[in-house]
Amino acid sequence: MAYSDMSPEAILEMLPLTEPVLLILLSLAGQPRHGYSILKDVEQMSDGRVVLSTGTLYGALRRLLDDDWIEHFKEQDSSRGRQAYRLTARGRRNLQAEASRLKQLARLANLRAVKET
Amino acid sequence: MLTLYRCLLRLYPAEHRTQFGEEMIQVLRDVQADAATRTRFARAIFCLREATGLLAGAFQEHLRSLGAAPAWLSIPTRRFTMRTEFRFPKATAVLMTIILAGVILAIKRGEAIVASLGTTDSPHFDFLPAIAPLFVFVYAAGVLGWAILFALRRSGVHRLGSAAEPK
Repeated sequence: MAYSDMSPEAILEMLPLTEPVLLILLSLAGQPRHGYSILKDVEQMSDGRVVLSTGTLYGALRRLLDDDWIEHFKEQDSSRGRQAYRLTARGRRNLQAEASRLKQLARLANLRAVKET
Repeated sequence: MLTLYRCLLRLYPAEHRTQFGEEMIQVLRDVQADAATRTRFARAIFCLREATGLLAGAFQEHLRSLGAAPAWLSIPTRRFTMRTEFRFPKATAVLMTIILAGVILAIKRGEAIVASLGTTDSPHFDFLPAIAPLFVFVYAAGVLGWAILFALRRSGVHRLGSAAEPK
């Protein structure tokens, strides 16, 4: 979905995402994950640049749960008592909108950079 | 590390501990196992990151429980601090009142200690009357400077506001 195609309400709903939150959402976009898996995936996606502490991770997860961007996911093998999370439809929609916004910014930056050089 | 982590977890609101406490400890165990294979310096960085993450997280959860924390305060960024619509959170008044109460309590305790020592002399604080005028002068200068900038519409509030207006 293109960012420009969204309703104003939908755009307003989406606050600017910080990089860690964006990476957490991207990590959950592919498949449901538990906390440790999210930490490792975020670190891998950012080439080790973003390393979240557990306190930071669970602060973000708490807010994403409260805002209904993610939800609990019951794994079949939950022998270690791990809790998995997955994106909700709302979370996926907002993630797509953020991706479109970033894409537009990147395109603009490329255009301007080409003009300047 | 786990002991310290459990202690720091106690700083969180009870509701957060109940919901995420055991899960956070489990994740920390996994991450700690990874860190065990690294250098001593990397392990120190890991411990520092976890401790500061918990301290900051506990503070933000308490703010949130007071209804003051904006949705994405969990991971502060310059983007947040530069948002022009940002205003002081509602809990500021509560926190300031608590701090004021703490200061008053400390003064009262200090007076009680002096009284218990049986002397009214306080040689260690003789310098206070001397620096008080200086403090008042600097404070007044700061307020005056800000008032001038505000009158000229050059204060930070105005600059941020004008930056946010469409051209």
